[in-house]
Amino acid sequence: MATTEVEQHVMVRIHDGVGLIQLNRPEKMNAIGALTRKQLGDAIKQVERDDAVRVVVLTGSGRAFCSGADVTEMAQGDGGMRTPEDVGNVLRNEYMPMLTRLRTMPKPVIAAMNGPAVGIGASYALACDIRIATPEAYILEAFVNIGLAPDGGVSWLLPRLAGTGIAYEMFFTGKPLQAVDAHRLGVINRLVPADRLEAEVRELAGHLATQPKGAMAGAKRAVTHALESSYEEALEFESYLQEAQAASPEFAEGVQAFLAKRSKK
Amino acid sequence: MIAPVAYENILVEIEAPIATITLNRPKVLNALSPDLIREVNEALGELDADEQVKAVVLTGGPKVFAAGADIGDMADRTAVDQLRRDQTGRWAGIAAFSKPLIAAVNGYALGGGCELALMCDLIIAGDTARLGQPEINLGIIPGAGGTQRWPRTAGKYAAMEAMLSGAPVTARRAYELGLVNKVVPAEMAFEVAKRTARGLAEKPPLALRMAKEAVLKAFESPLSEGLAAERKSFYFLFSTEDQKEGMHAFLEKRKGVFKGR
Repeated sequence: MATTEVEQHVMVRIHDGVGLIQLNRPEKMNAIGALTRKQLGDAIKQVERDDAVRVVVLTGSGRAFCSGADVTEMAQGDGGMRTPEDVGNVLRNEYMPMLTRLRTMPKPVIAAMNGPAVGIGASYALACDIRIATPEAYILEAFVNIGLAPDGGVSWLLPRLAGTGIAYEMFFTGKPLQAVDAHRLGVINRLVPADRLEAEVRELAGHLATQPKGAMAGAKRAVTHALESSYEEALEFESYLQEAQAASPEFAEGVQAFLAKRSKK
Repeated sequence: MIAPVAYENILVEIEAPIATITLNRPKVLNALSPDLIREVNEALGELDADEQVKAVVLTGGPKVFAAGADIGDMADRTAVDQLRRDQTGRWAGIAAFSKPLIAAVNGYALGGGCELALMCDLIIAGDTARLGQPEINLGIIPGAGGTQRWPRTAGKYAAMEAMLSGAPVTARRAYELGLVNKVVPAEMAFEVAKRTARGLAEKPPLALRMAKEAVLKAFESPLSEGLAAERKSFYFLFSTEDQKEGMHAFLEKRKGVFKGR
């Protein structure tokens, strides 16, 4: 097992095709400060570029998934956020590329929500493709509680995942969406007891690591394109994507395995 | 049928009734050198004269269309050097090309590369394509039509943003701006462009030529002049065998077979 420690706030472990990114500030509920941002950005880039990584898992350590921006650091004027313009610049120049990369990288990304995902932490969880959470987890858009509007892409993601009514209620009240409710709404794919989370995520990630990677990447490209397109444009884009995929060794192997009633290589 | 012709900076392949020109300087991201431009012009001249070729695809290959010109070569040139060489003005081969020319754009089409794409009649973009005019960042401006063709297609404000900021646009944004016809998965862009060319190759060549001329005329002339030119071509086409064939085939509910006469 290869272990790479990206200084201290973020750990990256790559094992059997699974790239695990773990926020590593349990004493701060995995709050994201300037150093965390830098390391998380690097970690996301690393797992995207590494061909040995077929599936990515993003998780926290300790009790929280991620408690959001490091407000203490912000209040002290550290972390490059002294002025309102700094806040905007950090969102545009740091969070935007990182969250876009997370959402569109050509491999599955699973959020293992070991606890609350708050503010920008919720943005990370919601930018992942699949969410698995413990009952102790919740999603909190806390911005309004400190007089801010939503950021980190949740104005786009949450209405699509939960519907505008739920999204607005969360944005207006600043109250959490508990894991059990998020699960009922389909925002969270699976709800599992805390002591089962790691095993459940490992099992799913391990399974996806054996799935045809071009086919999974195709699904992400199709969905990414479709979310910006008309129905007809999506149908046409899919048709060309399918042609490329139908010409791939993955498809040839898939059909052979199906006909021979054996599992794919 | 494949008949390769020897060039140093491009590959030309004829698969009648279409042909493809592939910019082939991968080490420098297909930077447009004077030799490359000369070869593209020459190849287009030959393909225009070749009766078996009805439409042409221009591509830079799967990774990049063309990322501008050779800056290393230009950095220390004088205005007089540039004027005498007139690299950006030497696209007469494209201007004179009478058949449909389709760009298949993957990856970066920057600077002269973007301008070259915009000289084509149709653009099929891969989803990873980026189009832009970054010249401003080098202390110059586009010199092969960028400042003129962008506003005529994408409008003043998108054009200004592209020229003044130098920032490229994504394939999706280019599609929204009307700069490209279609966005397809990158690995399919060349194939879709070739199919588009084959589709056009079945259409009456003289009418294609007149239609292309008429649309280009719209960029060059006042409306009344363009309308007059269009009408003349419209009447002229009634002197062709293809018009008789096209209309009779339509009436007989069959597919027309056109000869370019």
